[in-house]
This record gives sequence, structure tokens and C-alpha cells, in this order.
Amino acid sequence: MEALRENEAEEKEEEKKAFKISDELQDLEEKLSKIQVHIPNMLDCPIEFDWSSIDTSQLPASYKINSAKEKMMLHIAANFCRQYTHLCPDRKELFLHPLNECGVEKFVSTTVRPTLLPYPELYNWDGCARFVSDYLTMEPLPNPIEPPSCLFSPTTILKYQRGNCFDFSMLLCSLLIGVGYDAYCVYGYATREMCMMDETREVCPLLKKSKETVKEKTEKYAVKPPRDLRSKFELQQAAKKEAEIQVAKQKKQEEEEERIMEAEKPKPDSLYGLRVHAWVLILSGKREVPESFFIDPFTAKSYSTTDGHFLGIEALWNHVNYWVNMQSCLNGCKDLIFDLGNPLRWEFMLLGADKPLLLLPNEEEEEELADEDLDNLDKEEEEKGSDMPPSWVEPIQISLKEFETRCPQGKKVIHYKKAKLEKWAPYLNSNGLVERLTVFEDQDCTKVLEVRQWFKNREDLLEMRQVNKITEVTTEYFSPGHVLGLKAHVYKSTNPETERTMEFYNETRVDGLQKRVENACEMTEYFVGRSDFLYYRHTNFGKRTKRAQILVANPDQIKECFHRNLEKPANEDVVERIFMISEERILLTYHLQENYITASKREFIKRADVDNKGNKIIMTPDMCLSYQVGSSQEDKKLIHLYKMMLKLMEEEKHLKHQVWESGTEVLEILKIREEEEGASKLTVSIYDTERNEKGKKQREAMERQMQEERQRQDEQDLDYLAPFIIQMGNIEKMTKWQALRLKEDCLTDFKYRLIDKANIIQVRFEKETQELQKKQQWYQQNQLSMTVEDEEAYITYCSDAMFRIRILEMRLNRHKETAPQKYIALEEKLCKDPRLSEYLKLYA
Amino acid sequence: MSRIYDTIEPNVIDQEMLQKAVEEQGPQEEAGQLAKREGIDFKDVTELQLDFRNILKIDNLWQFANLTKLQLDNNIIEKIEALGSLVHLVWLDLSFNNIETIEGLHALVKLQDLSLYNNRISKIENMDTLQELQIFSIGNNNLTSLENVAYLRKFSKLRTLNLAGNPLCDNEQYSMFIAAHLPDLVYLDFRLVDENTRELAEIKYQYAIDELKQGEAQALAKLEEEQAKQKELDYHKAAYVEYLNGPFLFESMYAEDAEANKLAYLPGIPDLLETYRNKFESVCEKLFAYGLEQYEKRQAEVSTFYKCLQEALAANQEQGTKIILEFENQNVGLLEVVQDTSSFDIAETKLAKYNDDIIQLSDTLMTLEMQTVDQLEEIIKDFERNIADLVSTFIENVQGMMAQCRDLENHHHEKLLEISINTLEKIVKSEFEEEIPDDVRMLFVDKDTIVNAVNASHDIHLLKIDNREDDIITKANSWQAAVIEEVHKNEMARNRSRVKEINQYKDHLQKELDNLESLEPVE
Repeated sequence: MEALRENEAEEKEEEKKAFKISDELQDLEEKLSKIQVHIPNMLDCPIEFDWSSIDTSQLPASYKINSAKEKMMLHIAANFCRQYTHLCPDRKELFLHPLNECGVEKFVSTTVRPTLLPYPELYNWDGCARFVSDYLTMEPLPNPIEPPSCLFSPTTILKYQRGNCFDFSMLLCSLLIGVGYDAYCVYGYATREMCMMDETREVCPLLKKSKETVKEKTEKYAVKPPRDLRSKFELQQAAKKEAEIQVAKQKKQEEEEERIMEAEKPKPDSLYGLRVHAWVLILSGKREVPESFFIDPFTAKSYSTTDGHFLGIEALWNHVNYWVNMQSCLNGCKDLIFDLGNPLRWEFMLLGADKPLLLLPNEEEEEELADEDLDNLDKEEEEKGSDMPPSWVEPIQISLKEFETRCPQGKKVIHYKKAKLEKWAPYLNSNGLVERLTVFEDQDCTKVLEVRQWFKNREDLLEMRQVNKITEVTTEYFSPGHVLGLKAHVYKSTNPETERTMEFYNETRVDGLQKRVENACEMTEYFVGRSDFLYYRHTNFGKRTKRAQILVANPDQIKECFHRNLEKPANEDVVERIFMISEERILLTYHLQENYITASKREFIKRADVDNKGNKIIMTPDMCLSYQVGSSQEDKKLIHLYKMMLKLMEEEKHLKHQVWESGTEVLEILKIREEEEGASKLTVSIYDTERNEKGKKQREAMERQMQEERQRQDEQDLDYLAPFIIQMGNIEKMTKWQALRLKEDCLTDFKYRLIDKANIIQVRFEKETQELQKKQQWYQQNQLSMTVEDEEAYITYCSDAMFRIRILEMRLNRHKETAPQKYIALEEKLCKDPRLSEYLKLYA
Repeated sequence: MSRIYDTIEPNVIDQEMLQKAVEEQGPQEEAGQLAKREGIDFKDVTELQLDFRNILKIDNLWQFANLTKLQLDNNIIEKIEALGSLVHLVWLDLSFNNIETIEGLHALVKLQDLSLYNNRISKIENMDTLQELQIFSIGNNNLTSLENVAYLRKFSKLRTLNLAGNPLCDNEQYSMFIAAHLPDLVYLDFRLVDENTRELAEIKYQYAIDELKQGEAQALAKLEEEQAKQKELDYHKAAYVEYLNGPFLFESMYAEDAEANKLAYLPGIPDLLETYRNKFESVCEKLFAYGLEQYEKRQAEVSTFYKCLQEALAANQEQGTKIILEFENQNVGLLEVVQDTSSFDIAETKLAKYNDDIIQLSDTLMTLEMQTVDQLEEIIKDFERNIADLVSTFIENVQGMMAQCRDLENHHHEKLLEISINTLEKIVKSEFEEEIPDDVRMLFVDKDTIVNAVNASHDIHLLKIDNREDDIITKANSWQAAVIEEVHKNEMARNRSRVKEINQYKDHLQKELDNLESLEPVE
């Protein structure tokens, strides 16, 4: 027993561990991903996918055989290839008809399957490219200096979510042509970084900063600077010295930079210029593309056609034709001209469609396009009468779920220069994390500088969190709509009374608060767009005691700044007021008048209300020191000053309260944040039919209800003949006699049932009556010796029994009335029954 | 209503009454004590109540320049007067008086609430300027004509009206008429004007109202058109080329020229005149376009100058403020420290240093000012030169074009003379066959007469052209002088006020210091 118990305990512990493990799965995943960092060489990737093992049996016939037209095409291609090798014996063999997944030769142009998918994100080239690069896992070419021997259909590639650069390009090209771009697959040469999708030397696009341009202009009547009265010689000497130091510094800096550059330079590539790559070219013209450009399908980035990463082009093709580059690629792609109609530069394979011109579909076609896009595309191509056979590939289909999940298993990692970017599908992580960028200090990615996380669909509207690992400062950004209009929150720790900055969406707040900066003994608030022109409030707390609420209510000094209110004269418009609460002083500074350099000032000193003789002091001139600009000491009357002071004192009280409110607001926000962070709930759009649990339930309930309704209806028109037909067995060959018999049976059965029912009611009725009679007899016998309660019980029983009897009587009577009617109705129904009617008609 | 004069002594508004009223209605409690000690200036009073005082004549209120609310109800005032200086008045109560006509309110443009309840007014009038009026009470008066109420249509902000107790209320159309004619009115005789009545009224008076509206719209359109025209003309005048875009000058040349009109009857003259006129007009048009162009140029020049001046001044202001701020930051708390220190010597040295600092500050600011004056002087000189250049080119070109006009006139004159003499010869030889009026024939008596006539016409024309030229040149020159003078004047004023400011600030600082020193021995 003991041992058993121990075992049980161990098991429980193990269970607990298992829970813990599942909790820590996230962390583990992260760790694993970090481990992968050290083996960026994709060639050594441990999970090698075996393409030969894929199941091709389910694929349609067009994948397995060639149609007559396709055979013709292959023939032409072979001919073209022969001529080409004869004319240009030095060049590499063309990439014309590789094997597909079923081992059948297919011409590359027919592998392109222009498709329009129903997702708005895929309507533009950048969206398409991003999708392709996210959705597929990159595989390097089996031989980096040769094109692959086989090229699979885009559908297969999509199914297994992996492929090489050719697969990427074919899929992307299919999508781009589908949405109307003039896109081509390009087969050529590129640098190692491009071929290997090695972005470790690129700066992460999320880290790039936009440059600001500063403009300065000089005016005609600008004043000249005052004359410089210093010695020119001395200045020159000083400048010389300065310059020398500067030069030395610069030299040092340059050296340093050079050293860094050297360190960052990639190792020389022995296969430079030989590495085969495939990418996509988009020509200008269609879809308002102003200038031709390349898209690298791995990274979804666009490059100009003169970019140095692309080292040469062998050939390019789309779904209608194939062109071989006849221009020199000594200079990379810089000198290439993409006028495909020029046979000197581009050798085309099919004559019919030399340069694909911009086809303006007439209105009819356009309408059709809108109606039935996919099928129409095929038809159109056929109608064009080009020699190219229609694509053998099935239409590309991507379900909504697959589209949303994006990356294989919903996760993707990209390495950049000193940075790592991880992506997740929305709703994959329970805290809504969709992207995480880790910035490192060094090239080897060991020391973390900064982590940025992007979230989606969070209930607390958290959009991004940035953690600086050096200063330990966390910055959180929120979308509009958070409680109290919170926009950003910068903090070191979530404890109250520590350093923090909160930014707000000031448009949504009544007080127009934009920012609140806080530390242990200070609080600064910035406002925007207030009707009282306040834009800045600084509160100084003297010594902080422990409890926040108490101290916040006792500020030491409050300073407020105002913008100019143009309705008041500058001399009466306060720019700054300082309430020195502990010193019992109030300082006012007014706005500067036009062309004045000194501002009016006023200082109120609150004194004891009682003077040394015990008289009440109301206001004396020395309680207010003022400096009035412009006017020669024309003091305001004391009464005005007194009124002003009263008002200011009122304001002071109000301000104290305001400050206290601000403090409590901070605490409240912190509390709310803590709760939200603990819960980390995700929101689901009501339009999201997959994830909206409530909607789903409702829909399911409705479906269930519908089904029940249907069932009930089925029951209602119950087949009353069924049991008899079963008894009789075969009904197909029913004789007239049998039909009659069936009808009779059915009717008799019904009659018996009616009689039974009547009998049952009768029996019950009699029973009730008998019981009542018995009770009545018993009552009469014991009437004298009965208590009041018993009597009452008897009376209630009697009335109940009478009620029941009456009901039964009524039911019986009604049954008697309706039974014949029901019988007749059934007879009629039977006569009209399709199974019996023909027999019975004869009988009738 | 009206009181009997015999029983009550009429009163006048005098200093004593005002003083008393102000004190009674002024600040109370502590503030009141203060106010009593200091006395209240009438110009600081914003509200005044002078009711039940048997005042017969409004007077002596001119001192209350900032009054916003004035109550003169329940007196025996007969005439609205002496309120012209109370331009800030928002609320005026003249109810329960003996007023017979509305008058003397035209200066009270800010008036929002006017009560004339219980008077003897028989006509609503003389209120055109009270565009801010929101509440108007004129109940218990002698108003008889409903049409007169339509006068209130011009007050677009009027929301509340009280007419109860007037003879016109007996008219059964009364409420309908008011609702229709004053559609923005919310309350009539203390009651909400309900939607139902308004709709009914609208239907009933639709035609009348439409007519009224159309008339108003037309008047408005006319006014706008006139304003636009006036604006255009002002613009042309500013460019000194008014009326030069048409035949105005040419016509003015012939307007006072009787001889030319007579000569026009001669054969060949109308054609000649026509070509002359066309050529002359085209020159005028050219002049006009040139004038506008030059005007724009001058304006642009001036605005550039002022913009630069503003920038320079802003920079200077910033610099000055910075210097002062630095000074203040340096010496903040110094006085307190000096007060607190026990050692007399330290305090003394510190104060001495502070004094030096003040003088230094004032010197720095003065230097800055001198420097600014130099800088500004330079750009003002530039500006002056440029403006002078602009104006002189303008004048030269105008003179050139005017010379063209004169050439045309001379040419025309020669032709005219030639034809005239030819005609004279023909008449002398009796070869002239055409009919001409007698007074024209009178000219052709002898050669002198006709030559004189033609010359007289020519002189008139030249005079007109000269006048116009002189006009443009004088105006341009005076503009130049005015602009330059204004710039100099502004600069001078600025410089003076700055020097004064610096001195004042210095005095202020030193006074503070003196106060401290005088306190010290005591403490």
C-alpha cells in the first residue's frame, strides 16, 4: 500500500510538472528559436523535406499527362532549344520544360496559373509578395549553380508550404498576373545573400528612420549680424587649431568605421556570379506601375532593375511566352533594357504574342470578369488565340484559415543585421503577440539591446511594447479607445510613485491632457487645446511620505503656464503663475507686449489675517508687489488686487484638488493595467465567423433549432399507413383487394383506438365519481366529530374532485362528438393517398 | 401708470445720488471696506441701478464708461437721452417711465436686452444699429399698427418679444402675424411660440412674407454688388489708375469741349475721331494694366519689408528676454539670502554686487538696443531706396505713356486743322455742299476763327492729359513719402519705448534693492 501511495504521489507530481511544462512551452520555444540563431546556414537545416515522398495519386489527370497542344508546345520548345544551343553554344542550357511532381515534362509558361484570390490584401504587389514570402518556407536549390531539374505546380507548393526560389517566383507570378500586373518570372544570377535569403547584413526595415529635411531661406531685408570686433588673426589661429583637432578626430572616426565595415563585409564568395536565382519582374504600364522593378520572392522586397544584387538574366517568361535575354550581363542587370518586343535584345519563343501589349478589355468583358473571375481568365486566354496551351495547373485556392495563419505553423523568424524579427499568426499566442523584433548590440546577436513586441486584437488595446534592456525602461503604446485615453506608458516598474510618463489621446479627454510625467517628488502635465489656454502644469511635492494619496494632496509648489489669449491685452494675460503653497506666495507673470522685453509681474504674499494690534487686515499695498511694464507705476486699486487675490486663492484650492485627482488617476490606471496584463484577453471581431465564440454558439443554436423544426414537421405528416404496409410486406405490386384490405385495416385500427380512448376516459370518470361518493359518505358519517381543519380539507377535496369530474365529462362528450368526424377525415385521407388512390378509385 | 406731477417732486441725477447708489451696490463686506477707504471710480462700475427715484431727466451718466447694465425703471423719464457714451451697455431697463418715442439708442450697439415696458410709445423706430438685440420688451404701450412690428425683422438675433398690453394685441391676426413675420422668435409675450401656430401662420402669410423676403434679398444683392464695385474702385484708386480701363479720360477730354463737338459735323471728322479714340483708349488700357502691376509690386515690396522687420524685431525681443531671464535666474533668491544672513559685511558686498549687476544689465540691454537701431536703420535705408526706385520708374513710365497720349492728341490736332482749313477753303469757294448747322457754319467765317477754335479744343485736351499725369505723379510721390515717414515714425517710437522700458526695469530693480536696504537697519 505504501508503495502504491508513493507512486500515486509521484504521478501527481508528474502531472503538475506536465502542467508547468505546458506553461513553459512558450519560453522553451523562444529559447529554441534563439538556439537556431547560431546556425544560419540553411543548407545544414536538419529537417530536410523529401519531395519524392509526396503523394501524387490524388492529383488530376492534367498533372500526369500532356495534352496534344502541350505536346506540340514541347516540340516547339525542343526545336527552339536546339536552334538556341546551335547559335549560342557558350551559354547555359535553357530552363524550358522541367519535370513536374508527377515526372511529366511541362513547359514553364504553362505552369504559371494566373489566379485572382478573394482577399483584398492580395490586390497589390506588395501584399502578394509579403504573403508568398510569409506563407512558404525557403529551401535552397539542390545545386546552387544550376536551375532545378523539376518544377512543381503552385498548388503542390502551396499544399506543402515550402519551395525554392523558382517555386516562390512561379506562385508569386501567378498571383500578380491574376491581379493584373505585367509580371514575369526571371531566371538569372544573383548574389549569395539573395539566393540564400540571408538578410543578416541588411538593416531591419522596421529600424530604418525617415530623414528630415530642413529648409532655410533668406529674405531680402534680413538684418545683417552685428559687426564682429574681435581680432581676425586670433580667430584664424583658433580656427586652425580647431580644424586640426577636428581632422584628427575625423580620421580616427573614419578608421573606426572602416574597421567596422571590414568586420561586417561578407566573406568572398567563390561562386559569385554563378549562383542561380529566380525572381519576379514587373514591367511598367499595367496597374499604373510607373517604372519597371524586380521583386525578390523570398523577402518580398522590391529592387530597382539596376540593383547590384542581381548579376544577370538568362531568360524570363509569363503565362503566354518565353523570352531569352540576348544582352550582355557583364555589368549585372544595370544595362539591361526591358523592351521585350525588340528581337535583338530579347529572343522570343512564340511568334504570336511578341510583346504582350496592354489589353484594354471592353466593358462587357470587364463585367464578366467581375462576375466569374477565375473561369473567365482561362477563357480569355484561349480566346486570345495565342499558341500557348492553357495551364495544366488547377486553380490556386487558399482558405481563409490558411490565409490568416500565413507562415507554416503560424511562425516565422527572419534575421537581419544586428536584429531578429519573429512573426506569428494572429490568435496563435494567447497574449496576442504577432511580431517581435529583438535588436542586438553586436553582430553575433548575443547581447540584447532592445525588444519590441507588436500585439493584435488585445482587449486592452495594447499595440506595441518596447523594452530597452539597458535602461530597463518599458514603453507601451495603445490604440485609441483605452480607458482614460491612454496612448503610451513609459515606465521602469509598475509600482506607483516611481518614474513614469503617460501619454494620452488628448482629443478624447475633457481636460485635454496630453502627457503626464511623474517621479517621486514631481509631476508635470502637458495639455493641448484647452479653452483656458493652459498647456503646462508642474507640481512639486516637498517630502514624500509613504502613502501616496496623502502626499499628493499636499503639494509644495504648483506652476502653470498659459498660451496667449488674444482676447485680452498682453499686459493682463497671465503667462505663468506659481503657487508657492508652503511659502504662502503667489507669483504671476504676464505675457510680453509686442516689442517689449520685460514682462509685467505681480507677487501676492498671504499674511496673517490679524495685525499686531488685533485688527483684521484685509489688504495692504505691501501684500502685492508688482512691476507694471509701460505704465509708470500706475497701480491698480487695492480692491482689484484684493479681488484678484481672492480668486487666486480659490484657484489654489481647486488646483490642489486637481493635483490630487491626477494622482488618483495614475493609481487607477496602474491598477487597471495590472488587471489587464493579468487577464490578457483577446477581442474577436463580430465579423470573424471562425473565432467569434458567441456568434458561433448563436449560429449553432439557430441551426439546431432549424433542425428540430424540420424534425417536428416530419413527424407531423406521419405516415399512418406505414405499419400496415410493413405488415403486408411488398406494396409495389398491390392488388385492389389488398388495397381495400389495407384501408379497412387502417380504419378499424383507428376505430379501435378511438374506442379505447373513450373507454379510458370513461374509466377515469367513473373512478373519480366513485371516490367522491365514498368521501361524501364518509363525511356524512363523521360530520359531527370533525375538526375545522378536516372539514376544510374535505371541502377543498370535493371542489377539486368536482372540477376533475367535470373536465373528464367534457372530454368524453367532446370525444364522442369528434370521433366520427375524425374517422371520416381519415377515410377521406386514405382515399386520397397516392399509394391507394388508384385502386380505390376503381373501387369507388 | 403716469404719475401726477403735483404730488411728487421730480428728481435729477446728481453726484450725490450716483455716489450713494454706487456705494450701496458696490462690493460688500471686506472688499466693501476696502472700497470705501479707497473710493470707487465711476469708470470701474459695470452695473448701476437707479430705480424708484423719480428721475425726470437722464443726465450725468457719461462717467460710467464701462457700464454694462443700467436700470432706470420706475421713474418719470420722458425722453431717452444722454446715453450715447455708454457704448458697452448690454442691458438697459427703461420700463415704467413716460417715454413717448424711441430715440437716442443708436450708439448702444452692444445692447442685447432692452425693456421699454409700460411707456407711451406708439411706434417702433430708430433702432437700426442694435443688431445684437435678443430680448425686447415693449408691452403696455400705445402701439397700434401691426405692420410696424415687421420692423423687428432686421434683428436676426431677436428671440424674445413682449408686446402684451398694446392696442394692436386686440387684432385677431396678432399672434399669427407676429409668428409669420418673425420666424426666429422663440418666446412671444412670455409664451413659447408653438410649431403649430408657426406653420399655420406661415401658410397664411406666405405671399406677403415671400414678397418681403424677395425685397430683402434684392436689397442685399444690390448692396453687395455696390460694395464689390466700390472695392474694385478702391483698388484701382490705390494703384492711381482709376477709370483708366475705359473711355473715361477720353470722354472727360471732350466733355467740356464745345468746339470739338461742333467740328464733329465736318466730313471725315467722325472717322478720324473714332480711330483717335481707339488708339487713345488702348494707350490708357496699357497704362491701367501697368499701374495695377506696379501697385502689386509696391505692395509686395512693403510686405516683404515688414515681414523682415517683424522677424528682426522678434529675434531682438527673444535676445532681450533671454538676457533678462539669465539675469533673473542668476539673482533669484539673492534678496532673501541677503535678508537672512546675519553678517552685515557679506550682505553689503552681495548687495553691492547686485547693484553692479543691475547697471551691467541695463548697459547690456542698451547696447543691444543701439545695435538693433543700427541694423534697422540699414534695412530702412535699403527699403527707402528701393521704394524710391520703384516710384521713380513708375513715374517715368507713366510719363512715357502720357507722352504717347499727347502725341496722339497732337497728331489728331494736325489732322483736324487740315480738314478744317480744307473745309474753310471749300466754303469760301462755295464748293461745300453738305448741310451743317448754323453755329458750326459760324466757325468758318475766316481762318483765324477756325484755327482758334481747333486750338482751343486742343488746349483743353492737353490740359486734361496733363492734369491726369500730375495727379498720378503727385499721388505716387505722396504715397512714397507717407510710407517712409511711417516706417521712421514707428522705428522712433519703438526705440523710445524700449529705452523707457529698460530704464523702468532698472528703476524697478533698484527700488527693490533700496527697499531692502531701508528695511535692513530696522530688522
